[in-house]
Amino acid sequence: MPRNSYDIVVTGLAAISPAGVGLAPLRETLQSGECRLTPMPVEVVGEAGHLWGRVEGFRATDFMPPLKARKFDRASLFAVVAAGMAIQDAGIDLATLDRTRIGILLGCGFGGLPNSEEFLRGYFTGGTDMLVPMLFPNTVPNAPASNASIEHGLKGPNVTHVQRLCSAESAFLMALRFLEEERADIIITGGVDEVHPFILQGFRDMGQLRRYGASFAEGVGLLVLEKRDHAVARGASIRASVGSGRTIGLLPKGSEAEGVERLMGNTALPSLVCFSGIADDLPCLTERFPAVRALVPGRLLGRSLAMGGVAMVSLVLSLASGEKGLHLAASPEGPYYAFDFHGGAPVQP
Amino acid sequence: MESRKIAITGLGIFCATGKDVPSFTDSLLSGRCGIGPVDMFDVTPFPSRIAAQVRGYDPLDYFERKIAAKLSRTDQFAVIAAGEALAESGAGTHYSPYDIGVSLGGGAAGMGQGERWLQDTLAGRKVHPSDLRGLLQDRTTTAVAAAYNLAGYQGSITTACSSSATAIGWGADLIATRRLKAVVCGGSDSLSILTFAGFNSLRVVDPAPCSPFSLGRQGISLGEGSAFMVLEDEREARRRGATIHGYILGYAAAGEAFHMTAPEPNGTEAARVMAEAARYAGIPLDRIGWVNAHGTGTPLNDVVESKAMKLVFGERVKEVPLISTKAMTGHCLGAAGAIEALATVVGLRKGVILQTINFRGSDPECDLDYCHAGPKQSDTEVALSNSFAFGGNITSLVISRS
Repeated sequence: MPRNSYDIVVTGLAAISPAGVGLAPLRETLQSGECRLTPMPVEVVGEAGHLWGRVEGFRATDFMPPLKARKFDRASLFAVVAAGMAIQDAGIDLATLDRTRIGILLGCGFGGLPNSEEFLRGYFTGGTDMLVPMLFPNTVPNAPASNASIEHGLKGPNVTHVQRLCSAESAFLMALRFLEEERADIIITGGVDEVHPFILQGFRDMGQLRRYGASFAEGVGLLVLEKRDHAVARGASIRASVGSGRTIGLLPKGSEAEGVERLMGNTALPSLVCFSGIADDLPCLTERFPAVRALVPGRLLGRSLAMGGVAMVSLVLSLASGEKGLHLAASPEGPYYAFDFHGGAPVQP
Repeated sequence: MESRKIAITGLGIFCATGKDVPSFTDSLLSGRCGIGPVDMFDVTPFPSRIAAQVRGYDPLDYFERKIAAKLSRTDQFAVIAAGEALAESGAGTHYSPYDIGVSLGGGAAGMGQGERWLQDTLAGRKVHPSDLRGLLQDRTTTAVAAAYNLAGYQGSITTACSSSATAIGWGADLIATRRLKAVVCGGSDSLSILTFAGFNSLRVVDPAPCSPFSLGRQGISLGEGSAFMVLEDEREARRRGATIHGYILGYAAAGEAFHMTAPEPNGTEAARVMAEAARYAGIPLDRIGWVNAHGTGTPLNDVVESKAMKLVFGERVKEVPLISTKAMTGHCLGAAGAIEALATVVGLRKGVILQTINFRGSDPECDLDYCHAGPKQSDTEVALSNSFAFGGNITSLVISRS
């Protein structure tokens, strides 16, 4: 890397978002442009007038027995269910593939924290008698990816990233590298997040409910990546291909222009730009594409730290075959990411 | 693509057994245990009341008051350790800020401050909004990037106890792929009620200082701290005259897909990852002279890791010591992988296989060489450093001295 060939392809997608469970409601939302945010109940933060992106129609027991569902935190439920959807969408027959060659790399924002809060609340209010050991394993942010790997038997690379609003993109970059290095044949990547009253109360106390905590959302967006040759060999349908990926960590004062140039690279003008995180709020990014169609999933579905997963799924769903797309993501205080996509199967070199 | 050798040009550490590399080295070689009483919060309700706490720490010895107030304890440890690594390396002033990045593994992050917010909220007291600033691991990464103007990359890996080992492997990748010319990689974590109560509730904490691979061991001793290393392409490092402490030759990171907290009992998955790490590093297994174990001191981990060693090294296993530095440093969770990688670098450079202290007696199920009697002189060139985590996330790093 930096890589320019489009030899890594997207063969499967999954989404559970405020638009609904599955790809169909997400596609419908992207086409209609209808905002799926809903009023946050007053009791959540003790204030009216806030919106949130809650996944209302998701019932874990539609996908697994109640006893099993009880052992997972909400973010893990999203990840376990969506990973199953992504595997199915990609036409992966786990029985015939080497599971040590299938990995899962996710971005996860607040996953694990609701369990931490519940565990600590028990201790702070009732001492050691009120500690619930079952809660503790899923206090870690890697619980969603790891639970998904356990449930689906994925024994390949398994890594979780958190980097503010670019958590999913951080995982995506690593997924590209691991496929190039042939550490895995297939990687499920993207982002998962959950919204919980205590997180929103935290945003309130930090004065962020009308800034970065505004319209906070939850859900999961996953992409199945593999090398083109591998996908073709197993007869997979190719949804899109992925070109170069670029990132910078910060934009230090006085050298912002250099940073933006490094982020953009030599990429050709795209037909569609997907803005994620706070990228749509940054003129240094938006002004480069005045006449290009823009997709801003966060305005329809809300923001979360791992929103890049749903945003990249949205981009792939929105790209026509042969169309070039650009995914741009940014966070307050960095980092910044840019990924080139190409709709449909890539042109053979 | 031409392969690149990834050199380690700077080291930094801040933990209970040493607040810089020289003091940490002394502790490692002399077998000093950093595990002792805890006074950060009330531990009297718990069966185990000890940990490897960084004692005698005053943030104002390192930071201006205004800056310290914005950083969690975990952030502070990271800025200190990364600063030592960068100062020694000299990379920070040699390259453009956009050519240097930060790859960090985190654990509980600023949970200690978050706990204060929760206690205040539950008690109906006035809360301090800044208590939540460092709740996520990414804040520590940004604190390091901002403190040293490292603009090339910010990434935080959160795979519990293997986080910072993976962050180092990924840091090496960022150099190998020419995305960066230098990367500051490592981990940071601090003690919190969450982890102290959590591991105690699972009954995996030893009331006495942990004794990995010993008979009668009862579990881990928690710890805290931070360790970082600066990685660069070897040729660039040599060209600028940097001191090279060793090399990251490769790594592997995978999921066992077995259980959230229990390791796969036969050690087959751990063995697979260790062997994969050697393969990615291009190193035959017979070049590996010792292994810095995950070695938590839990009854299960130590048996499984010993089994994995037998699967990896076969008949040669008795010649490949498996040691645990956690008996000195405690289990530093998100920072454990980095602290142990740094200890491995120190051991290789000193020509020593490090020891496993706190021996209580021989366990028939742990029948390898654990260097319980003390460190051993060795001309070994290559060692592995293992990290296992909740979720079955395993990482193995391959480290060499030349």
